Amino acid sequence: MNLLDIRNLSIELISGDKSILAVDKVSLSMKEGEFRGLMGESGSGKSLLAQAIIAVLNDKWRVHADRFHWRGIDLLRLSIDERKVLLSRDIAMIFQEPMACLDPTTTIGGQLAEAIGNDQLSGFYWQKKQQRHDAAIKLLHKVGIKRHAECIKSYPHQLTEAICQRVMIAMALARRPVLLIADEPTAAMEGTNQNQIFRLLSSLNQLKGMAILLISHDLENITHWTNTITVMYSGQFVESGTTDQIFNKPLHPYTRALVDSSPAANFHLPAKTRLITLPGSIPILQHLPIGCRLGPRCPRAQQACVKAPSITNFHGHKVSCHFPLNNKLKHNSSDKQNCNINKKYLT
Amino acid sequence: MARDKIYSEEFFPSPFMQLWLIFRQTPVAMLGFSCFVFLIVIAVFGPLLAPYSAVDGNLDKLLLPPAWHIDGDISHLLGTDELGRDMLSRLMYGTSLTFGLSFIVVISSLVIGVIIGSLSALTTGIKSSVLNHALDVILSIPSLLLAIIIVAILGTGISNTVWAVVIVLIPQFVHITRYAVKEESRKDYVLASRLDGASSFRVLSYSIFPNIIDRIMSQATLAQSAAILDIATLGFLGLGAQFPSPEWGASLANGLDLFYIAPWTVYLPGLAILFAVMATNLVGEGIRHALKKRKEQ
Amino acid sequence: MTELLEVKELSKSYPLKGHWLHKKNTTVLAPISFKIEAKKTLAIIGETGSGKSTLAKVLVGAMPASSGSIFLNGQILKSDSYKQRCQHIRMIFQYSGTTLNPSLTILQLLDEPLKLNTPFDEEKRKKIIRATLQKVGLLGDHMNFYPHMFSGGQKQRISLARAIILQPQVIILDEALASLDPSLRSQMINLLLDLQQKMGLAYILISHNLGIVRHFSDEIMVLSKGKVVEYGKTLDIMQNPQHKVTQKLLMNQTFQLKTKKQLKAKKR
Repeated sequence: MNLLDIRNLSIELISGDKSILAVDKVSLSMKEGEFRGLMGESGSGKSLLAQAIIAVLNDKWRVHADRFHWRGIDLLRLSIDERKVLLSRDIAMIFQEPMACLDPTTTIGGQLAEAIGNDQLSGFYWQKKQQRHDAAIKLLHKVGIKRHAECIKSYPHQLTEAICQRVMIAMALARRPVLLIADEPTAAMEGTNQNQIFRLLSSLNQLKGMAILLISHDLENITHWTNTITVMYSGQFVESGTTDQIFNKPLHPYTRALVDSSPAANFHLPAKTRLITLPGSIPILQHLPIGCRLGPRCPRAQQACVKAPSITNFHGHKVSCHFPLNNKLKHNSSDKQNCNINKKYLT
Repeated sequence: MARDKIYSEEFFPSPFMQLWLIFRQTPVAMLGFSCFVFLIVIAVFGPLLAPYSAVDGNLDKLLLPPAWHIDGDISHLLGTDELGRDMLSRLMYGTSLTFGLSFIVVISSLVIGVIIGSLSALTTGIKSSVLNHALDVILSIPSLLLAIIIVAILGTGISNTVWAVVIVLIPQFVHITRYAVKEESRKDYVLASRLDGASSFRVLSYSIFPNIIDRIMSQATLAQSAAILDIATLGFLGLGAQFPSPEWGASLANGLDLFYIAPWTVYLPGLAILFAVMATNLVGEGIRHALKKRKEQ
Repeated sequence: MTELLEVKELSKSYPLKGHWLHKKNTTVLAPISFKIEAKKTLAIIGETGSGKSTLAKVLVGAMPASSGSIFLNGQILKSDSYKQRCQHIRMIFQYSGTTLNPSLTILQLLDEPLKLNTPFDEEKRKKIIRATLQKVGLLGDHMNFYPHMFSGGQKQRISLARAIILQPQVIILDEALASLDPSLRSQMINLLLDLQQKMGLAYILISHNLGIVRHFSDEIMVLSKGKVVEYGKTLDIMQNPQHKVTQKLLMNQTFQLKTKKQLKAKKR
């Protein structure tokens, strides 16, 4: 059974009398124990989607979907409060700048103890305090912080970003969630720390069978650690499939461009030559193109692209494009074809 | 391939204009702003517009109630006080004293405070500490008490009141300017401007000030409502404007003896003070609300 | 190839606070020397705290050096004169949000360096600004807009326009590409490469992303705790790192690169 089943979710921004479709019919599904990556650049609506899943959007956003199920329960039929109770038990989320997400006036020990729910403790009031302390130490060990005594007594500003992120993960694990959503957890860190955090997430996924949804704009990180990927562009669903399919046989021109812009793909290019890019830039919310939002930049755009494409499924590899790249062609020749088309549209 | 217009909007608002546009859309703030403008107009043109003199009274018509009362007379719209002076004219002259002077007080303390604050932010070390904290002694004493002490030293009279309130309001501006300037100078564009070869003064006026002026303005409205109340209170206590000045606090104290016979001599100046302070506070709230909304945009 | 920029024994140290009697100093940059030629890029890598940003600030003139000298085309650059320095060495900053003054239009923003450093009149300045905006891929009409109307990628382009408007010889990129999205990053790299060829610029790139470093630079300098631990051509260092610090840095990135290559090799 799917943990999370979202079909055609749309999020509208209501400002005055206008409404802008910030997220346009995105579908996402996650199974138990799956490590999925959600890839999108800025303005792609990926953070909005995550916030809609855990229901923290305020009144100026309106969410509607054809299907929005969590473990079989239809979330759209529940009221906001019931939804929050259900989701806060099973889903946890970690954010981008961990030091800004921790309370600067309380020690780490105090914050961890707060995160542990009452249902995991038993006994009298004074026994609970000690149990909370022990549970906090166990959580810190779970995320790989060995020197727990120092950590528990310190304040967030005395620790490094990487350790703060681990503390955030520990707090997220306190309720034993089934799904962990990580919204760009390593954006503020450098290489060695990023690897540590990803290794931790990967071990949580493999050893505890926790499903993880990793949101990022960095293709290299996502492809190394995840099993499946969903790609979004400007609020629309672009492509989804296993990591191997997305990286080696991208069907959508946008995914192709993303793969081409990552250093791994450019390993064989001689140094200081031009990289293959899509012209133009990401459309802003006030000026979204109609139909397929990649239209103005896409080298394969034609008349039909003014209508939003529907999702086609090639053996589990879903793509939303009127003219997907033919995956039967070999890697090299499709390169040349794209190069020529790019040149035509660049002048 | 150049196109003339990329955006369908014709109008490119600067951050200041954005603030004004948001302010304009809040009805309560606009109400406060129009009252504020109304008060400024009366403060400037009051002496010309007032129907009667504020000092000479008509001895035939003593203690006339306001026009809506049975005994009232339409020629004195708001009644007269115990010496026959028209209340309306007194209030209008009082506007230019209480409100107008509070405006001048705020502007002077703003200018002095901002200069000291910027000097303190641009220097480092002991000089900066001295400039920042020397005036903190003033902050620790309640403003009204300090104004009374200064007036007790300098003597009574409205000009000494003005000096007292100016001195009392300076430290707030020093602090807020210093904090804002320090925060802005950490940003990259100030460094870029400096690297272009701009002198310190140019960096301050072009790069830093336009971005902190809105914070200083919202602090100025807070300071103004405090100034209005301080001037009025000092007038009420007899330490500020002296009899027969039409200043609101003084005329309120004047009418206090006659409260049971002629209550309008008390509540009319009181309402005027309330009106002025509320207008100022609404404008201040409007600015702060617009600042918050602009940040969210 | 003539040498464009030569740095000899540049170092920076701060006096420690609280030691009035015995003046103690912390050395943030030990004496460094290097050379760059025109149309070449030098990449500086190292972990946080290794002194990269300090080196960038000393080179661009934001901080005076404690010792050592910088030579441009054989002439020494004075350390307290911004006006001389800004004609030759310019810098692009990391965060696009705070790099442009929010209350000035782009025209006023780009006019400032011209007004302060060149004798041109207003007409000529406007023409130069228009031409510069077109060089970085924006339209001339953009000069009437305010910074908040642009996206992150466009703000970095305006920042680049501000850097090239005085026709410098060296541009320092202090993690300028780190906060950009991948597709915008590629566009920016293409733009930088074009400008390097057209204007004969030398770049000093400070970055954490070794993929960009490999693609974009000719030489690499590795810093650790203020000292140069390795310095040489990009390809040599990437394939054969000698020092422990370099090996550690490379291992984290190439680890990912190697396994993807294996993925690709498996498919074929």
